[in-house]
Amino acid sequence: MNNTAQKHDATPLVAESYYAAVTDALRTEAARLLSEGVVTAVIGYKEGRRHGTAGPAIVVDPARANELIFSAACVNNLALYLTKAKKGVAGTGKIAIVAKGCDLRALAGLMAESQIRREDLHIIGVACAGVFGSGADRREPLSAGNLAGKCRECSVGAPEGADIVIGTLPPLPELSPVEAEELARLEAMTPAERWAFWKENFARCIRCFACRQVCPFCYCEQCLCDRNRPQAVETTPRPAGNMAWHIVRAMHLAGRCAGCAECERACPMDIPLNLLNRKMARELKELYGHEAGLTPVEKGPLVIYREDDDQSFIK
Amino acid sequence: MPKTITEQNLRLLIDSLIKEGTRVIGPRRTGTITLYEPLARGEELDLNELPRRSAKEVFFPVCENILSFQRGEEGVKVTDIDPCAFPETVLIGARPCDAAAAPVLDSVFSWDYKDEFFLQRRRKTTVIGLACTTADDACFCSAVGLSPADSKGADLFLTPVREGGYLCEALTDKGKTLITSHARLFAETSAAAPLSLNEPAGVKLDLHKIKGWLDENFESPIWKEIADRCAGCGSCAFLCPACHCFDIVDEGTEAEGHRRKFWDACGFGKFTDHASGHNPRDAQPKRYRNRIMHKFKYYDDKFGQTLCTGCGRCIRWCPVGIDIKAVLEEIQKG
Amino acid sequence: MKHDFEPKIVAFVCTWCTYAGADLAGTSRMQYPANVRVLKFPCTGRIDPVFILKAFQKGADGVLVSGCHPGDCHYMAGNFHARRRFAAFRKLLEFVGVDLARLEFSWVSAAEGGKWVEVVTDLTERIRTMGPLAEFKELETEEHWSGRLETAELKEAYNNI
Repeated sequence: MNNTAQKHDATPLVAESYYAAVTDALRTEAARLLSEGVVTAVIGYKEGRRHGTAGPAIVVDPARANELIFSAACVNNLALYLTKAKKGVAGTGKIAIVAKGCDLRALAGLMAESQIRREDLHIIGVACAGVFGSGADRREPLSAGNLAGKCRECSVGAPEGADIVIGTLPPLPELSPVEAEELARLEAMTPAERWAFWKENFARCIRCFACRQVCPFCYCEQCLCDRNRPQAVETTPRPAGNMAWHIVRAMHLAGRCAGCAECERACPMDIPLNLLNRKMARELKELYGHEAGLTPVEKGPLVIYREDDDQSFIK
Repeated sequence: MPKTITEQNLRLLIDSLIKEGTRVIGPRRTGTITLYEPLARGEELDLNELPRRSAKEVFFPVCENILSFQRGEEGVKVTDIDPCAFPETVLIGARPCDAAAAPVLDSVFSWDYKDEFFLQRRRKTTVIGLACTTADDACFCSAVGLSPADSKGADLFLTPVREGGYLCEALTDKGKTLITSHARLFAETSAAAPLSLNEPAGVKLDLHKIKGWLDENFESPIWKEIADRCAGCGSCAFLCPACHCFDIVDEGTEAEGHRRKFWDACGFGKFTDHASGHNPRDAQPKRYRNRIMHKFKYYDDKFGQTLCTGCGRCIRWCPVGIDIKAVLEEIQKG
Repeated sequence: MKHDFEPKIVAFVCTWCTYAGADLAGTSRMQYPANVRVLKFPCTGRIDPVFILKAFQKGADGVLVSGCHPGDCHYMAGNFHARRRFAAFRKLLEFVGVDLARLEFSWVSAAEGGKWVEVVTDLTERIRTMGPLAEFKELETEEHWSGRLETAELKEAYNNI
């Protein structure tokens, strides 16, 4: 979230009319789905009180479909509301969900892990030019200057595999991949420098667990880190326990993370958590050719094995 | 005659306090984030924005040891932490929403049980408040009975003046002592024009009316409506200047370890989870309801105060965009 | 021979192969450094990465994880799964700044008492030259500033002004 470095480019990425058109189409589709009884609820976004903000909304009444919106403020990954962790929120029956490309990857991952079933979902894909970065200036339209880091390297702006896709994006400029650059910068460091980097970042952690709570893949009913007999990870927000928590979190998401970067966005302490996820995703791609995609892969890279897997690190 | 202090002398004040062995806590910028932290020198003070976390951790640490234990041949030896060992502290640059929370918390920490960990830190801390010029659209101090110029909770209160520097108002003996013991850094003035403060915009809240509604509406469909989407994290409670729930755990081995007190949050699913497996607040809306009830009803019932100073941190950093101000406005409508 | 530094090595081993291998080394009267503390698991597949982390946190200077050779797993595939998990975990530890020379993996069968001796000896000597693992130990003693009692940095700040 190095927004300061990118403030210079304020050219809007899409016209405001784009969001208005997508919002209209979204409302029409939601109202139709609800009134025809195709779905029992639509999980989407509604506007926040403050300028340039939006939040999740669960609409069950077709008359309230006009509360739904789509804009660059629609940052949340709504797949969260379909998981075991949020059970009961959307009710029963077929559910419609508004999904950006990155959210679709999470849906695919959850399907692969048998957490949700495709036939229970009506996916309303939205073509997305990116969302606002956490802490970015939202008074101006979406531009390279206030765009979230993850969106600069997005390859799924126009989602595939949805039941309907709303919106057609104009050509978007190629942007410098700040997250990849940051990852490379860390990899070039010595172990001691990396330790110092993470130590400083994790020391700020207050264990609010926003990273865990917004993650579509942290749906365990009993988190290892909440257990105290035996206590695998210290529950207190001290530097030692914080380090352990973030290592465990990254490990448990390895090969599963869909890269939505919600953990990093939700972190009130600006800890660059997605760097850990990206690193693990890259390593698992190199080791086992696995990559989080838009189609469910039955078994993740750490659930399967090959007899000839690399074991050069084992004596 | 009113006193003033220049920007430069304010920093010198920090330097000399540190030199005297006082711990000085103030807003400090690291990377993308400003936090209340111990300052190593006056230059580090950064008053440009409201710190991400509140100042409550000066009195109510994120995590602290309350005792340590060692198992020896003669049984278990327990060593208590001596609250008298807490460092003398000056908290500088606390905005009204942060400074005002401390006296509100005094009520609960000196109620049926006197929490010496909190109270000793309070006694040992001098609060230098700062009138606020940086309200944004999440701020609502003036809607809950405070204002950007409110000096509640401060021992010494700074108001930025047009000529640069600050007008200094000593409100308590601690504040007066601070001025007299560093008299050379302060000047006397007859005419200093305070900078215009930035009053948060928006609806004033009728806290009495809101409490009246809460008295009657423990069961209401509104809770589900508002808080179904709550993700159940603790960021609202942890950033809040007034939330004060904590948990206590023993950490270490069977041979030795520490008992630690650390922040907890009513938004966590485990917060009310009983050992039996029963959880009276078994769904997120019930947990969110408790947050609102505690702030605007229970605390009022018990202490006649509201457990919210309108800093807006929970609004700014809620990952799912829950806006307590909007919720209260909704409740106020009835 | 006396050394200045005796490293603490924690070995997580599977009961079927490596534990039996270590036992063979013992019954064969082979000598290996007493620095190693052996923890027996049913299978390498049961060795959660969090155990390795915990060992480092609680004072291990080096960690060894050892089990059956591929194809020899008593539970058919436990070590195959473990192999992938450890490959990923190594990368993660490296990324947060842990020196991977402190973490060793090996396959030691029930017949390889000699290999056990060799693996343990090599790791112990390597860690001995590296010295104690300071990072995790230091971290363990650190407190958030708000809960800190000593004011060492205050004194440092004082000296700097």
